[in-house]
Amino acid sequence: MTVADRSMAPSAPSSELPLLDIVDLQMHFPVSRGLFRAPTEFVHAVDGISFEIAPGESLGLVGESGCGKSTTGRMLVKLLEPTGGSIMFRDRDYERDVAHIKGKETKEFRRRVQMIFQDPYESMNPRRTIFDTVSEPLAVQKVGNVPEREQRVLELLRLVGLTPAENFLFRYPHELSGGQRQRVAVARALVMNPSFIVADEPTSMLDVSIRISVMELMAGLAREFQVSYLYITHDLAVARYMCDRIAVMYLGKIVEIGPTEEILSRPQHPYTRALLSAVPVPDPSQKRTAVEIKGGVSKPVNPPPECRFIERCPFAAEVCRTNPHPPLELRGDRHYVACYRVDEINAAIAAAAG
Amino acid sequence: MTLSQLSLEARQVDPSLPLLEVDQLVMHYKIKAGSVSAVDNVTFTLHQGEAIGLVGESGCGKTSVALSLLRLLPQNAQHISGEIRLNGENLLWLSAEEMRQRRWKDIAMVFQGAMNSWNPVYRVGDQIREALDTHYRGVMTYAEQRAHMEKLFAAVGLPADMLDRYPHEFSGGMRQRAVIAMALSCGPQLIIADEPTTALDVIVQDQILKELKRIQADLGMSIVYISHDIAVIAEVTDSLGVMYAGNLVEYGPTADVFARPRHPYAYLLLRSTPSITGPRRKLAPLQGEPPDLLNPPTGCRFHPRCPFATERCAVENPPLEDIGGGHKVACWHWDQVPELEGLQR
Repeated sequence: MTVADRSMAPSAPSSELPLLDIVDLQMHFPVSRGLFRAPTEFVHAVDGISFEIAPGESLGLVGESGCGKSTTGRMLVKLLEPTGGSIMFRDRDYERDVAHIKGKETKEFRRRVQMIFQDPYESMNPRRTIFDTVSEPLAVQKVGNVPEREQRVLELLRLVGLTPAENFLFRYPHELSGGQRQRVAVARALVMNPSFIVADEPTSMLDVSIRISVMELMAGLAREFQVSYLYITHDLAVARYMCDRIAVMYLGKIVEIGPTEEILSRPQHPYTRALLSAVPVPDPSQKRTAVEIKGGVSKPVNPPPECRFIERCPFAAEVCRTNPHPPLELRGDRHYVACYRVDEINAAIAAAAG
Repeated sequence: MTLSQLSLEARQVDPSLPLLEVDQLVMHYKIKAGSVSAVDNVTFTLHQGEAIGLVGESGCGKTSVALSLLRLLPQNAQHISGEIRLNGENLLWLSAEEMRQRRWKDIAMVFQGAMNSWNPVYRVGDQIREALDTHYRGVMTYAEQRAHMEKLFAAVGLPADMLDRYPHEFSGGMRQRAVIAMALSCGPQLIIADEPTTALDVIVQDQILKELKRIQADLGMSIVYISHDIAVIAEVTDSLGVMYAGNLVEYGPTADVFARPRHPYAYLLLRSTPSITGPRRKLAPLQGEPPDLLNPPTGCRFHPRCPFATERCAVENPPLEDIGGGHKVACWHWDQVPELEGLQR
């Protein structure tokens, strides 16, 4: 394969099938009980989640720390081997369940997916130049020769707004600012012309003014090259600008998923409501509604079968205690909620509001 | 000071009296390559019972101001000129020992990263006792100290038995509550809170901010909030200062600054802050990069990135001038900055 094959021509128009079809994905980490004892307890970091990502779509995964959003992202790029479930990946000429592939097959799969990490100060080797960093995927996948790779890297640096690109080629990460480094990380993610990128809090370390330009860059590139994103963030305001749909995770489960504006304007799960009302609003003249839930997230070690949110839920009732964790049910335009008492809660809140 | 002043009851506050006055503060860091102009001519006044916020991006000098107030700057920091007066007394003239006497007792601090504020091998209660021992040696008996600490923990919403626990047994939010309890331990009038909620999840952040607000009102406390998160500052402060490259570029009542930012930087900062409420408007990114403070730009430090800049801006540094109602702006062209229409409401 040559560099030219992976040139920046936009991908073919999207087919009907989703790019990623994730079914019942699980990641249970064993809790160590000593060197010679088999683990009896497991942290259910991701506990049976299912969702789809369409070609060119950006799905936001939001939730508090420890809810399993990063674990999910890592499984989708094969940095972690899931303990269960399937990840169906359909790209141009590629279609297979990648959940349990190994070795050469993983390498082949990784031509199509990339990851952007949170901390641009730690995700780059300080002793390698920008050229080395950005061209590394090409070298690993044995694409092109050195002059061709250099052309490709220059093209990408221009694309992400690091101009004049020639001046950046042989600089080191410490010579760049945080925003510039994150642009390098975006360039590195795009160098193989992937169809799917997992971005794990890519802008949370950046200052406000720089954050917007990196967000715009990523959104623009997604439109131009039909790249799909799984955008992992704890910041709902950022998700609003980056994502077509939002999935809210709580202790290893997706509790609500739907189109971004729908989730933000008509949240239905009590956890989503609490999360939204806790976000500070940059306007002192606005009053937020009070947050109704208490405490922080616990670790899901061998969690009981009932609803994960039951301990903190102000609306928990008998039906929640006697039934397993509720399934996601359709409650509006592509809007799914996992709660037994959605209708009662909606009615109660509407009545309280008058 | 007597023990009675340590009680966790409301202090009489007179909002017209200044508590903290920062007057034309100039501070440099000396490094091999030269002198970094980190704080340049910063002036503001905090009244009794008031909460003010300093916002800005990394490297704008907000933390340097906070550390100056506590005189906790690193060795290479040089105070060039200006005064910091607490109740009329210039803190910069105090000896190291006199300043040590003021810390915790008059000014306390809540630092960013509650994870790193505790010594992991001592019980949390013993670490608070250390602050009490420093300032009230021989004044309080062991039992009185314990009773006082239990009251402190109750004030921040922690159970008393957590005093006997080690820091690793606390969750992030609980640790930050314990940090606030420690800050309150010696009955200060002023708390400096540097990014008090930055490492926390939104729901926990909301709880901590409410706690700080309640404590401020209940105890008649004054707070200086330092944050990069303009939305957090909007919720908890009465006055707001926006810093850019070591300068205080805009200062005024929080509601006024948010409704009508007059400095181009403050305006662009608000335009580039995403919000989950209101219409989904287009965000405007700020062009360019923050300046190198080894060689700050001539004239107004924002002029190389400013869409309103003229030749005058490159030559003359605008003073911080009152444009009415205590709203102050350091810009030659503040009257040309457009309204934030349809932005906030």
